[in-house]
Amino acid sequence: MTVENITDTDRKQPQFHFDRFAPEYRESFQSITEEMQSECPVAWTETYDGHWVAAGNKEVFELARCPHMSNDHDPNGTGSGYKGISIPPPPRAKGIRAGILEMDEPEHRELRAVLNPYLSPAAVNRWIPFVDEIVRASIDEKIESGRIDFVDELANITPAVLTLGMLGVPLNKWQIYNEPIHAAVYTHPEDPDYPRIAEMHRALGIDLLTNLAEIRQSPRPGMIHAVDSARVNGEPLPDMEILGMLSLLIGGGFDTTTALTAHSLEWLSENPAERENLSRDRDLLLNSATEEFLRYYCPAPGDGRTIAQDCEVAGTSFKEGDRVWLSWAMANRDPSVFQDPEEVILDRKGNRHYSFGLGIHRCIGSNMARMVFKRMLVAVLDRMPDYRCIPEETVHYDTIAIIQGMRHLPAEFTPGPRLGPGIEETLEKLQVVCDEQRLAEPVTANKHTAEI
Amino acid sequence: MKVHVDQDRCQGHTLCAMIAPQSFELSDIDGHSSPVDESVADGQEEQVREAVHSCPERAISIDE
Repeated sequence: MTVENITDTDRKQPQFHFDRFAPEYRESFQSITEEMQSECPVAWTETYDGHWVAAGNKEVFELARCPHMSNDHDPNGTGSGYKGISIPPPPRAKGIRAGILEMDEPEHRELRAVLNPYLSPAAVNRWIPFVDEIVRASIDEKIESGRIDFVDELANITPAVLTLGMLGVPLNKWQIYNEPIHAAVYTHPEDPDYPRIAEMHRALGIDLLTNLAEIRQSPRPGMIHAVDSARVNGEPLPDMEILGMLSLLIGGGFDTTTALTAHSLEWLSENPAERENLSRDRDLLLNSATEEFLRYYCPAPGDGRTIAQDCEVAGTSFKEGDRVWLSWAMANRDPSVFQDPEEVILDRKGNRHYSFGLGIHRCIGSNMARMVFKRMLVAVLDRMPDYRCIPEETVHYDTIAIIQGMRHLPAEFTPGPRLGPGIEETLEKLQVVCDEQRLAEPVTANKHTAEI
Repeated sequence: MKVHVDQDRCQGHTLCAMIAPQSFELSDIDGHSSPVDESVADGQEEQVREAVHSCPERAISIDE
């Protein structure tokens, strides 16, 4: 049989029914992963108009780095016609590209270079004292009561406030941004609550446009100013592209770190001896434990791509236009790379996980995510060392299709003393610090660490 | 031991500098890594090997 004679049905093998949105995928993630890795590990599924799924570590690696894979999203149909990284397309914002994540080279490179000096390790580390203050204030709101919801009252707040600070949005607006981003991930479009969330999303969009207009009128530092000032081929970005870039930064900055923090705190509650080890030996274990939680709980479990040119990768023949789902989460459980992949091992060696993706689209916020996660985690270990999560009141997302996250993670602990003012007063103070010290400037313009 | 970071493969995951901070330095601007010195300092060999095994992009190579 020559290549030309192969029919589509012959080519699209093996077949595997794969539905990320099904609750069973969350419940049976490990067994589905094992089945796909041993029997496929690249398969065609008929779900969502048909697409490939890569589940094996080696296959995900080769595909993610293949030059014929496109991230492009062309909502107006004036170019490639490709559909970007979401399979299926999201119910909202179909007409907007998700910033650099839905661009190919050279446009991606030009715009990523604009954001890098805001999000590099050196840039992000300047914000540590600022983050510690938000964490301190969030915990102070709850420390005397002996009860906290780690999602709503800590892990949802800190990344949101930091992201707004970096963008150049007033910090006291965090609630306008926080709730719709979080809720849109876990609320199905047919849920009766959806119209309320869509309305909150509109309010977010209006506030973002208001900030953009203010910054154009009277520039203030931050990533909004950076994106607005960016040029591709000498031209400024259309407003829709600016909104897409900013939405990517907000969507990427908020719920992912929340999800990682919640899952890690839940695991540490269930494994108190490990929690004590981690707290005691944090100088040795904090980095490796963070990478292990990232590997195991992989907050953003995968990304879609489009094949831009017929090719054969990892033993599979792909045709131009084929859609592919790269499962970072499943690649992270491949026993050919990770010994005992279903175990959380806080001092794991050789942990080359893919939770921030691979190749040129490596999560640009990865340094911020790690930093914020670690600051929240050590503060909890220091201030509520005996916390115990309450399983009956814990609410995980129904599906892990987009973010492997949680809605609620309440915990009880021995009450302790407050160390300072609450969130509102603290944000007022941090806004002054942000403005006076021009923290939201890129590291190329300002190398100074925040002084609180 | 000599160490090399392939600049076309490195994407700034930063794990190498986390594991072997004395042997790798990160760009302030984009976090991409380069060896502090092509010749690995005495006593750092094990950490550099661990960095090689931990790089998601497989961008680091060593010559023992």
